[in-house]
Amino acid sequence: MSERITPAMVTSTTLSDLNSSLAALERTTNELSSGNTILEPSDNPYGASQVINLQSQLEGISSYESEAQNGISWESTASSALTNIGEVTQRVRELLVEGANGTYNKNDLETMALQVEQLTEGVKQDANTQYAGQYVFSGTATTTAPYEDGPNDEYKGNNETVSRAVGPSASVTITTNVSTLLGSGEAAEDGKLLDTLRTIAKNMRAGTEGQAALGTTDLQKLDGNIETLTQLQAISGSATDQLRTALTRNEQLQTTITAALANIDATNIPAASVQYANEQAAYEAALRAGATIVQESLLNFLQ
Amino acid sequence: MSIPTLQGLQTALSGLVAEQTALDTTGNNIANANTEGYSRETALMEPNPPIPIPAISAQTGEGAQLGAGVTVATITRIRNVYLDSQYRAQNSSLGAATTDAEILERAQAAFNEPSTAGIATQLSKFWSAWNSLAESPSSEPAKEVVIAAGKQLATTFNELSSQLSTFATQAGEEYNALTGPSGEVEDYANQLAQLNGQIKLAEEAGQPPNDMLDRRDLLLDKLSGLASVTVTEEPNHTDTVTFGEAAKPLVEGTTVNWPQTLTESSGGRLGALIQLTGPNGALTALQQGLDEVAGTLSSTVNGHLTKAFFSGGTAATLAVAVEAGEVQASATGAAGANEAARAIAALRGGAAEQQYAGLVEQVGSAVRSAQDDKANLQTTVTAISNQRQSVSGVSLDEEMTNLITYQRGYQASARTLTAMSEMLETLIEHTGVVGL
Repeated sequence: MSERITPAMVTSTTLSDLNSSLAALERTTNELSSGNTILEPSDNPYGASQVINLQSQLEGISSYESEAQNGISWESTASSALTNIGEVTQRVRELLVEGANGTYNKNDLETMALQVEQLTEGVKQDANTQYAGQYVFSGTATTTAPYEDGPNDEYKGNNETVSRAVGPSASVTITTNVSTLLGSGEAAEDGKLLDTLRTIAKNMRAGTEGQAALGTTDLQKLDGNIETLTQLQAISGSATDQLRTALTRNEQLQTTITAALANIDATNIPAASVQYANEQAAYEAALRAGATIVQESLLNFLQ
Repeated sequence: MSIPTLQGLQTALSGLVAEQTALDTTGNNIANANTEGYSRETALMEPNPPIPIPAISAQTGEGAQLGAGVTVATITRIRNVYLDSQYRAQNSSLGAATTDAEILERAQAAFNEPSTAGIATQLSKFWSAWNSLAESPSSEPAKEVVIAAGKQLATTFNELSSQLSTFATQAGEEYNALTGPSGEVEDYANQLAQLNGQIKLAEEAGQPPNDMLDRRDLLLDKLSGLASVTVTEEPNHTDTVTFGEAAKPLVEGTTVNWPQTLTESSGGRLGALIQLTGPNGALTALQQGLDEVAGTLSSTVNGHLTKAFFSGGTAATLAVAVEAGEVQASATGAAGANEAARAIAALRGGAAEQQYAGLVEQVGSAVRSAQDDKANLQTTVTAISNQRQSVSGVSLDEEMTNLITYQRGYQASARTLTAMSEMLETLIEHTGVVGL
């Protein structure tokens, strides 16, 4: 403290104290009204860079959640199409068993063959199922229908896979390669479902020789196809499980990161409110003192 | 032995004159109580040479000296030169720190972080757009969204880059304005040279020019905010002023050496302006850092595509190079393939973002340390300024006390004069008149 105190010193000190009181008050007001403690990078440089990273991560998580949701819907579309194919296949199997027992005449078998052909078209239509305008069974050729209506059974899709990103380095394959089940029909002689169905219809019309094949080779082939279908359904189901797990994991991560972000950047409302009250009291005291002290001088008392 | 008859009158008169001078000085102090740079003045009183009286004592024959009143030897200003040089040294540093804080705060505001409009948010939206494209790789709207997010991001980079270069340009312009013809430096230097001349003349005439000295000190204080100032007082009372790192003294006697070249270690506002925009300056570093982020962004995104998405490798030139129809979600061209879109979306949190977060941390730290420096120096400068005020400032209480002291002194001297006059009256009017 200096020896001599002049009014100019008192004035300038009072003014700078008032300024700093008011600055502190303004700062706390800002923190309270914005809800954030980092209003500018200089408030907490490292914290600010953390906020940037965490906010980006948070935004990323909602993207991954959206992709996982999208994948789940895609898989559920694919899975219901596979279920339909399964039902159709069961119906064909019943017809096959009936046709093989030899009690039906030619006309009955013709009717059965027609039914099988209709069911075959149904299978192809199921394989052409779309999700959001994309063919789910075409590999990556999602704008191309995997099968066309009519006698041509050739698979038009490709064997590539479509994936959904569910994390920074995690992705889930959502493509079900339906050609391993359906194949490319009779022309390809690949023993896949469409080939089998066409053969069954042909054998139903082929009289006794055909009838013999119905109960033996055809039934074996169909059962083999049904097994492939079950495998595809299992793969699709496991993809859905992976997507659901990823969704849950992302939701948990979201909670964790939101909490971390709040730790760095969120205003502690009770503490800030108490601080605000203190600073306001200090400011008022400074104002009161300034208003009274600076007015006094020897002049007030000289007669 | 004798005492001059009228000596008493002279002594009383000297008291009147001295007290009046002191009263006038006090009045002047009060009048200038709020004048910037004014140092309080005081009338230095000295006893007049005494009148020797030989053999005043009849018994011992010893003489004595009779006091002959008072005289005002000089009117001096009360000032501590050591505090002045301390003040100027700290004020130069304060000038530099204030400039740093001012310009870096502007740069920080341009970054606009954390907010929903800064580059960080734009980047995040850009990655999300690729995520959406990965969900429906052949969707035109999704491609439009990618293009829009990319353009917005590129524009934000361009704007920030141009703002940073504007700050650098403005700093250069300010430097030129301050140092150029009829700029502040030249103005102060001319006034200092002129005052040097006038002070020399007044001192030679034996009249300490207090007000001019105060004005010269005030000018030196102001000059010290612009760059470091060293003052040497010459024997002829002129000040030689060295300024910044300039080769020759800015003011030498009545000569002004300006313009001269300053360096970034010149201190003060000018040194800070050179430093900030120089090759190692904070503004340059921010600009380079931003270019680096833009370069990384452009190369990492383009690396996953056969047709480059971004053109331009610097923050100022970054632009989206493709139309919506040309946005690729995959290199294979298959409608449902999305490996490129997924790979780009996975760049979230990658090198570009880390570099940018680092840059934000860098600008934040720079602003913070500049603000801390500024606050510390402000405290120091205020403390020194208060010490100076304590020595040189006008205290009204003190002046009022002095006013009463000198007023009473004047009244008493006048009373002495009356007493002398009455004594002489006895001598002149009544001596030799007997029995009338």
